[in-house]
Amino acid sequence: MLRKYRLQLITLAVLAVLFIMAIQGMSAKDGLTIVIRGLSVGAVTFLVASGLSLIFGLMDVLNLAHGTLFMLGAYAGWTIYVRPDTVVDLIPPLALLLVGLVLMPLWPVLLGRLGRMPAAVWGWLGLAMAGVLLLISLPSIPIAAWSARDYAQSPVSYAIMLSQGQLQFPPAEATGPLSPAVALGGVLLAGLVLGGSLTVLSQRHRGMRVRGQATPPQSPPKGRRISLSHWERVGVRATAAGLLLLAGLLVLALNDNLTAWLLGLGTNWLFGLALIGGTLTAAALGGLMEMTLIRPLYDRPIYQLMMTLGLAVVGHELVVALWGRPEFTMPKPALFNGVGDGCPAESWAAWLELHCSTILVLGGRIRVYNEIFLIIVGLVVLVAVSLLLQRSRLGMIIRAGVQDSDMVEALGINVRRVFTLVFALGAGLAGLGGVLAAPSIGLSPLMGESVLLMALIALAIGGLTSFPGAAVGSVLVGLMEQFIIKYGQIGIPLPFLEEPFKPSPTLVPASTVLLMVIILLAMPQGLFGRTE
Amino acid sequence: MTNLLEIHNIHTFIGQFHILEAVSLAVPQGSITALLGRNGAGKTTTLKSILGLTPPSEGQIYFEDQPIHGYRSFEIAALGIGFVPEHRAIFRDLSVAENLRIAERRKGDLRRKEEFIFSLFPDLKRLIHLPGTNLSGGQQQMLAIARALVPDNKLLLIDEPSEGLAPVIIEHMMAAIRQLSQEKTVLLVEQNFIVASQLAERYVIIEEGRSVKQGLMADLVDDPATIRRYLGAA
Repeated sequence: MLRKYRLQLITLAVLAVLFIMAIQGMSAKDGLTIVIRGLSVGAVTFLVASGLSLIFGLMDVLNLAHGTLFMLGAYAGWTIYVRPDTVVDLIPPLALLLVGLVLMPLWPVLLGRLGRMPAAVWGWLGLAMAGVLLLISLPSIPIAAWSARDYAQSPVSYAIMLSQGQLQFPPAEATGPLSPAVALGGVLLAGLVLGGSLTVLSQRHRGMRVRGQATPPQSPPKGRRISLSHWERVGVRATAAGLLLLAGLLVLALNDNLTAWLLGLGTNWLFGLALIGGTLTAAALGGLMEMTLIRPLYDRPIYQLMMTLGLAVVGHELVVALWGRPEFTMPKPALFNGVGDGCPAESWAAWLELHCSTILVLGGRIRVYNEIFLIIVGLVVLVAVSLLLQRSRLGMIIRAGVQDSDMVEALGINVRRVFTLVFALGAGLAGLGGVLAAPSIGLSPLMGESVLLMALIALAIGGLTSFPGAAVGSVLVGLMEQFIIKYGQIGIPLPFLEEPFKPSPTLVPASTVLLMVIILLAMPQGLFGRTE
Repeated sequence: MTNLLEIHNIHTFIGQFHILEAVSLAVPQGSITALLGRNGAGKTTTLKSILGLTPPSEGQIYFEDQPIHGYRSFEIAALGIGFVPEHRAIFRDLSVAENLRIAERRKGDLRRKEEFIFSLFPDLKRLIHLPGTNLSGGQQQMLAIARALVPDNKLLLIDEPSEGLAPVIIEHMMAAIRQLSQEKTVLLVEQNFIVASQLAERYVIIEEGRSVKQGLMADLVDDPATIRRYLGAA
């Protein structure tokens, strides 16, 4: 047992000694602050790294667009938090579009009645038609948005206004010529056409290919397999579509009331909604990305890597186009934003009363949101995902699939669906990280890149496919970064130098890479990686 | 005797390589059929083609008289086909219990089959909480077979069950396969001709991706010329 883990134990011992040496070089107050800050940076890194490691472990996809999902989550969260009216305006068209996608399983039944599945060209034509319909309809739906060009109407101004507690929204406006009812009908139709053409395109792959040419797909086997359960599934889908349609129309009818209600909730609840919304947005985008773009490329890893890299660029441009270039802030929720008399809080009891933004611990000032809340959320996610992996059937399938996904499929499990789920889960965690990090690091179209780099380094340190490894690697990277920043201020006294050596800020990212290089030299598989 | 599985003239490519060039075979209901042939003849690829893990590009496969070619592997498996892959491919990071539970297709599958499985492989009951990686080679092979017995499978595809095992354990394995074949139909890939000839009632010989000969095992045992020609000295 001891022999097996000898190298791991030695590496951990060396790291512990280095850690103690580093902390000896400063006062207890500074040491505590640095450790807490390191853990908090580690927590945000972990939210990105954990998804990356799940996706890489199960699907062998190194998702270079993960930082972009982190960023998109942050921007979606900001929108819910600062402009709830825009989100309410967007819900009806989105719900109507989804109706068509939810009804996708109906299409094979309908088309099956007609005899055979139409050729792929009809799928592409349908896709184009849905696009045109959306382009015509969407501008005619009244939506209140910000303007990236006009400073008074820009995200920057709205962020400032929210932090001052006074938000005033412009009225919803439509730029297209159609009446809103016709436009909404157009969106609904576009969703149905979209669902139909996607069904045609995905069914195309079911037929057997003979020398590169697709033969017509066969009808499903007769008898017991397709019978009641199939119709049951169709019924469930139809009910879901009906509810979606109803919800969309309800939101449309109660638009103003809903906006007023959301604003009345206050920043704490809105922030909670932003966390949920940012997570779901990133998860949906991740799932969509896996289904449409990554899936056809599982046999071609290099293309896949290029694809995720390209998506990262596209995501960056998308954010610049929608939210504008300038960086802006996301005000902290009231729970963590108290100032004035009695702040920073002297004790936890005082904090609970005043909700100060900072608290005194051992004489050092600690920011409650950045340095305590983030760590707690990181721990909660760590425990929740570990439980999911160890206790649930899905977790069991993921752990088995990491080793041999073909064998899992041969057991009768739809591995492709599990892939999509895990991709969405990983993307959702990144989105959650984005919303959480936004109040402390601010929003910018480049915010995803540095986090992605940190997460990749953390992953390499922890062993690419190991989930605990991702956690340990993230914490190590966070601590390393914070220690180097601190030593950049106080300097490291070296015996052969007159003046203490002060690492410059540019050495901060280099130090984490150095840590990775040293660990990988000692353990080429990373701390928790395994040799295959 | 009706055929549970019929394969008509399938061709399978792996990348650029034409691995199967016309394999046809029939597996009668309730029998053990052995798939014989030299290394690299295409035996494992035949099993994987049935399951759609390496989908055939031409030809037809019928299971219970229904076409199953062109379907996704999980859909094919769910019709009642169990796979025991070569090299004892169990899930090493999962415990023995989890290795069995993951094969459940309906809730309670394992509870219904527990007694039968542990009567075949009493060792597994003792090891139930150990991680798969701690099992010996023979125990891993037993677990791989047990895993295919958890759901209601009608056909088992077993790939090289005796490979790399000690003679005593091979005996145990053969007894287990013989016993489970009273309920299930088995298509068995086996390099060890002595094992195959003792287990199977029928045989199919594959050579260079073609099925060249099939019939009753009893006839093959009396035909040393054929054995020498296709399987080497046996």
